Amino acid sequence: MPIVKAPPSSRALARAWFAIGTQSVGGGSSTLFMIRRVLVERTGWITLREFTEAWALSQLSPGIHLVALAGLLGRQMAGLRGVIVSVAGMMVPAAIITALATALLGEIAQHPLTIAALAGIGPVAGGMTIGLALTMARPVLQRGRYAILDVAVIVTAFGVLLAGLAQTIVVIFVAAAFGAILLRRARPTSSDAPMA
Amino acid sequence: MIEQLQLFFIFLKASALAIGGLASLPLLRADLVPQYVTDAGIVQALAVGRLAPGPNGLYVVSLGYLVAGWTGALYALVGASLAPLVMVPATALARRWLMSAWFGGLVRGVSLATAGLLLATGVTIVSAGGTQLWQLALVAATVVVTAHGKLHPALMIVVGGVVGLALGR
Repeated sequence: MPIVKAPPSSRALARAWFAIGTQSVGGGSSTLFMIRRVLVERTGWITLREFTEAWALSQLSPGIHLVALAGLLGRQMAGLRGVIVSVAGMMVPAAIITALATALLGEIAQHPLTIAALAGIGPVAGGMTIGLALTMARPVLQRGRYAILDVAVIVTAFGVLLAGLAQTIVVIFVAAAFGAILLRRARPTSSDAPMA
Repeated sequence: MIEQLQLFFIFLKASALAIGGLASLPLLRADLVPQYVTDAGIVQALAVGRLAPGPNGLYVVSLGYLVAGWTGALYALVGASLAPLVMVPATALARRWLMSAWFGGLVRGVSLATAGLLLATGVTIVSAGGTQLWQLALVAATVVVTAHGKLHPALMIVVGGVVGLALGR
């Protein structure tokens, strides 16, 4: 690795993130795949090691992990300018397309065919949310006798929200405190690392 | 003006307190349904978020649009872009702190609780959308496909739409 890397120009950086943001349908792993292909393999602006480390740190971030990843990689490539160009380049074009698609759907929302299609899309949206919850629970579940604590947190949060016993935000804060005190045995693992 | 600020704060808060893109859903649903949007709106936003390019967490932009047009979409975009960026100064200033055992536990606690909250939100979306037999079969199939991660997520939305066209009339 050369000691001094010339930072990419804002225009080149914006073009790279524009490609990443608009060519990865479905988000998640497909976006991650595009980031790696463009920044590590195609341009070489980021080393594989830098990418892996930034990815592990981004998993601790609030909100969309990919935004944190774009920010961390952006800083690595071009400082504060890199952060702004990377995040805006990934998010703004994709957000415009998302809003336009929503507006378009709104135009045809009352059509009987749209209503029928949405009657099938609803169960899929619900099923995806449930499936994602199971996927989220899987890597954090510990094996062995401590798994009972992890399961207790999941079941409690589930029951409290369904029964309307407390506000969502209260559940999150209580779980954060509970975790900091009782679940501190291991760091979040990178078991489903993007390299695997 | 106050209501606008409140709306922006709802989106910022949901992104700041959730770990992961879709994890903001239970928080947003708690603040937006039923005053601003219905569960049917949530379904539309989730579907558009999956079909449109970019991170899945961008479903919030669709939700923002449904709530308050382009202004709402802008609030959602800014909120979703700002919250995760706390990691940029955090990794520079407090790297060791981020790697501490208690912070790891905190993230773990929030992730587990979010899994439970998402599970409950998923059940709510399902029951709001209709529970005919073919719809429940779609739910089951989607859960399996999502948990296995084999099929492209956008494809499942298309499948749901086609099945809906065939059976939902």
